Amino acid sequence: MSKSFEIILEEANSWIESSQKVVLATVIQTWGSSPCQVGSRMIVNEKGDFLGSVSGGCVEANVINECMELIKSKNSFKKIEFTILDENAWSVGLACGGKMAVFIEEINL
Amino acid sequence: MKIEILKEIIKKKSSKEQFAILTNLSNGNSEIFEFGKPLSKDFENYKNEIENYYNLKKNGTINGTQIFILNYIKPIEVIIVGAVHIAQYLIDLIKNFNFVITIIDPREYFTTEQRFQNIKIINEWPNKALEKIQTNSNFALITLTHDPKIDDPALNHALKNKFFYIGALGSKKTHENRCKRLKEAGFNDKEINSIHGPIGIKLGGKSAPEIALSIVAQLVSKTNKISLKSSN
Repeated sequence: MSKSFEIILEEANSWIESSQKVVLATVIQTWGSSPCQVGSRMIVNEKGDFLGSVSGGCVEANVINECMELIKSKNSFKKIEFTILDENAWSVGLACGGKMAVFIEEINL
Repeated sequence: MKIEILKEIIKKKSSKEQFAILTNLSNGNSEIFEFGKPLSKDFENYKNEIENYYNLKKNGTINGTQIFILNYIKPIEVIIVGAVHIAQYLIDLIKNFNFVITIIDPREYFTTEQRFQNIKIINEWPNKALEKIQTNSNFALITLTHDPKIDDPALNHALKNKFFYIGALGSKKTHENRCKRLKEAGFNDKEINSIHGPIGIKLGGKSAPEIALSIVAQLVSKTNKISLKSSN
């Protein structure tokens, strides 16, 4: 229903046109209660600026760090899973008790 | 994702057609899926499953595979008759959702670009304006003039073309008279009762932004109902 999907991709394009590196994060799977639907998206640049969301704020900080790491690394994509049993999930607090998987990919020139 | 694909998605979304974005999670390759268009090596083995998800407008990772599909769903078209004050607030709220808006009003002093920036405006009588648009059950109509000369032809058109949402601004009395006229025009009770009049959910407010909010709330609720139906 929301229009954010379009806005995010347009913004990603304009970041790239101003010579920034951009990573696209997409929720690819959820189990149990999860605030964001499959297909929710967020973009992150090398400075850590971000737009959009992949959760209700629970895992954003972690995903942003992963995206910034991805830009520095040789890899161009990565799958990240968050579960209640995961140490990361405790530290960033996936309070809903759900599980989710996020796919992060660099936009390649 | 390659920048070319990103640019293509941005270009395609303005064509208002349904498509999907496929990602192979094992190698990061992605491409745009359109029904009937051949798939590349990364995806061709999963053609049937991909088409199945596409037809159901379902997003997700296809069971037992590394193939992720994200559908781009055709936006709902909303026609607003009456470029009045409430329409300005309506547009402010509606732009956050996946709607495409057209405003129709034959009165030139209302339809100035200064009042409605970046919005498609047809400065003609609804009869003539609606002839130019291919309408169907993916359309919603909101009439705001409460002037029968302007609203009624649009309501007639929307009922005949089975718009999924029709709402008409006006008091209970205005709406009663409107229903009488539609009955005389040959519409049955079921059709007439499908019109939301007075328009909007009950918020208790009378100001223009409050009325606009109550209309958008009703429109979104009806839109979610039809999109749930089509995805089941």
